[in-house]
Amino acid sequence: MTGRARIPIASGLARREGLGFHSGGFAAAASPARSCYNRAVVPLLRQAWLLARNDLRQELRDLELVLTAAFFTVVVLVMFALAFAALPASAHVLAVPGMLWLGVAFAGALTLTRIFDREREADTLRALLTWPVDRVAIYFGKLLVSLSIVLGCGALLMPALALLFPAAQALVARPLESALLLLLGSLAYCAVGTLFAAGLATASGKNVLISVILYPLTSPALIFALVSTRALLEDHPQFPTYLGQLAAVDAVVVVLGAWLFEPVLLGGARKPAAGPSSRTRSRRGEAT
Amino acid sequence: MLSFGLKSAAEAAPNTGEDQYEPVTGLDQATVQCVRACEAEAAAKTASDYSHVVWAYGVIWSLFAIYGVTLWRRGQAQRADLDALRRRVERG
Amino acid sequence: MKRYIPVALFALAAFVTPYSVNRVFLHTGIERKMGTVQKIFYFHVPLAWIMMALAVTCGIAAMIQLRRQSRLAEATSIAAGELVLITGLGVLITGPIWGHATWGRAWTWDARQVSTGLLWLIFAAFVLLRRYGAGGSDRLAAALAIFGAIDVPIIYYAVKIWKTTHPTTDVVGSLPPQMWNALWPCLIALVAMSIGLLLVRIRQEQGAMALDDAWIAFDERGAGKRGEVGDA
Repeated sequence: MTGRARIPIASGLARREGLGFHSGGFAAAASPARSCYNRAVVPLLRQAWLLARNDLRQELRDLELVLTAAFFTVVVLVMFALAFAALPASAHVLAVPGMLWLGVAFAGALTLTRIFDREREADTLRALLTWPVDRVAIYFGKLLVSLSIVLGCGALLMPALALLFPAAQALVARPLESALLLLLGSLAYCAVGTLFAAGLATASGKNVLISVILYPLTSPALIFALVSTRALLEDHPQFPTYLGQLAAVDAVVVVLGAWLFEPVLLGGARKPAAGPSSRTRSRRGEAT
Repeated sequence: MLSFGLKSAAEAAPNTGEDQYEPVTGLDQATVQCVRACEAEAAAKTASDYSHVVWAYGVIWSLFAIYGVTLWRRGQAQRADLDALRRRVERG
Repeated sequence: MKRYIPVALFALAAFVTPYSVNRVFLHTGIERKMGTVQKIFYFHVPLAWIMMALAVTCGIAAMIQLRRQSRLAEATSIAAGELVLITGLGVLITGPIWGHATWGRAWTWDARQVSTGLLWLIFAAFVLLRRYGAGGSDRLAAALAIFGAIDVPIIYYAVKIWKTTHPTTDVVGSLPPQMWNALWPCLIALVAMSIGLLLVRIRQEQGAMALDDAWIAFDERGAGKRGEVGDA
């Protein structure tokens, strides 16, 4: 399935597109002797890592995504603090998990709407799809990028919440557990988000729909994350169990996202001229 | 059981003297009031239950009806569209 | 022949519905704890089952649509998605009506209520995406439907765990078999109704797709003609 449409024009295109790949990685991926190993996990992750590193390197050059997401997180945090400052201290344990994950969800939606922007503006996603890269590697690469940005926002949120609300001390006092929780929760969110952001990026720029899709769809993962966070704050003995359940949701969502990425982007077995919605739209556009 | 008791009490009442009431035997005032209250509560509960049930059933079937009407209207629009296409094909 | 299947189903529903109402109200006892209001159960519960079944149908059809590029599957997923919305609305309205009479509160954050609500939101997103998404969003909507169908058990489980932090309410305990038996005619009526509507909607969507294709073919032919004239 994923082995189809592999055109060995890798390194030249890579240089022309100005994306700083190590040609070695792609030459290796493109050579027929190695291509049969592409299904194996290690080359896939390697490709994903190369793609993600390229994106992150570009990101580090202008810091657009990171800075806007971080600033947005701070703004959301301030709004939360203003809205919930008057809560009685006993309610903080209940409110802090909600604030944490709503913050992550908001910042994540912002990041995910932007994560494919560069591709859409330069139309490099199409170019990327003609590359001899496993499509799943593109998915994992983008997932890695969005995850790292969302994790950055979470790393900002957690200490700030601990500072603002004494009940959230555990977020700082038990950094290992908090980090794991943040990682698992954000992973589920980003795994769903990357898939739909990619789909909306190819569709002509209706990115608004991503929050419409994303919030209901990630609600189970966010609920698990909420429950786990509360267990962490209350030092509940079932915290590892909840974390395990969150990890199980992660596994389901990541596998599903990776599996659906190619059909969503390319249209499955054979490519139709256009979907019915675009047919209708184009016709209506002509009619009016 | 209770209603039978009440009935017998009602029958017993007119048979007594001119304008003098004789206390009803077997049922004291408190019991009667209690029974009335119980009945009123039961009647209120039944009435409220009925209104809830009617609302629920109404909602379900009106939803289906609304969807059916929507489908029908969509079908009409489609037919009009088809006719428009047919006309244009005949013209051009 | 195919045309008459929905008609037959509607006729079946039209026969069974009066029978089921008769059976529910006249030949089934009144539940002791909840009273007459428990009669909502006979239509509420089958409707909830139908909603779940339609959600799963929508997901499976979407999966086939992605794999095989099948028009029929696409039309089925659209129709099922819309019907999830309709039946879900029915469940979400009758549930609180029942709750209002039984528990005194319409919305009790019962696990079933919350998970049904979340599921409904996912399919509302599906219908929105189908309706307002740009070109190519049909595949995205299919992915959404697949996610939604797979989310069904996860949501229920998640809400159940989340619920452990909230007070629990005892919903329907064990009902006597007489009441379960009165449920089947209602289920048959509602299933016949839903499948009939589903089939009608599928046919309609297929018709819409064919019509779109015809229009586009017509426009392209017209454009080609004009182009030839221009060249000459």
